[in-house]
Amino acid sequence: MIEALIKAQTEEERLLEFLRSTFLLIALVGFAFYSMEHWILDHWTESWQSRIPFFVSLVGFPLTLLMFFHRGKWVRYPFLLWMLVTVATGLLGAYYHLLWNAQDAEVSLWNLKGFLEAFEGSRPVLAALAHTHVGAVAFVVGITIRD
Amino acid sequence: MIPAFRSAQTQTQWALEFIRLVMLLLCLVGWVMYPVELLLLDHWTESWQSRIPFFVAIPGFIFTLWVLFDRKTPWVRWAFILTMWASVFTGLIGAYFHLLWNFEGEVAWEFEAAMEAMAGSRPVLAALAFTHIGVTGLLAIYRAR
Repeated sequence: MIEALIKAQTEEERLLEFLRSTFLLIALVGFAFYSMEHWILDHWTESWQSRIPFFVSLVGFPLTLLMFFHRGKWVRYPFLLWMLVTVATGLLGAYYHLLWNAQDAEVSLWNLKGFLEAFEGSRPVLAALAHTHVGAVAFVVGITIRD
Repeated sequence: MIPAFRSAQTQTQWALEFIRLVMLLLCLVGWVMYPVELLLLDHWTESWQSRIPFFVAIPGFIFTLWVLFDRKTPWVRWAFILTMWASVFTGLIGAYFHLLWNFEGEVAWEFEAAMEAMAGSRPVLAALAFTHIGVTGLLAIYRAR
């Protein structure tokens, strides 16, 4: 990414590489902050599955960092795959937050009233989607890069 | 954004407009989801200041939607840019107040106390979602003519 930014020939190419680098930097900061927040908040239950968001961020950070220095297909394809994993992790996290909120409130998630009540529960639903947001931003950057 | 994406002629232009378009769509989703969450969670105190994030989201949604179809009208561009800056500061101020109110007892800006406040009941990073949306919107329109 950095090399492409330095070597950009036209104003348009420079702008494209600048935007790619900045959005990738935002994703990098996201991976650092979210994993740190999971760690500080001790945000897991006793099951190993609850640590998935943390481990996904832990892998996402170095992969994203690597993209700044090399974006050949051997780095880019695993990166893209991992960003899809990050997107799925956020979606699953939001689903489980909703599900557990619904169980606590003893309502069904599959009707509007129950869904809204679950949404208002103690586990934040949109916060989990932050992983999806970071993954989607990085994926969009990666998918537009050609060899 | 959409007209520029549809009229992109080269690979560089296509990639540039594709990134701008998707980022703006992500912003738009945020502008819908965040005020809905604030409304559902009844996320305010009695002060009017606590409603600022909700009120920022209203022009945020309108101007983001507008810029998707028209980014050439100068006043729309300026209104969009101003709203995005407002969102950036709203997020930063929100994160600051979440952190401040999480301090139990005396406010002490020391590492250990700050980390404890960070782990408090008010989520600090969640407030920064507004900053994230604002920065994304600003980047999406940066040098877009």
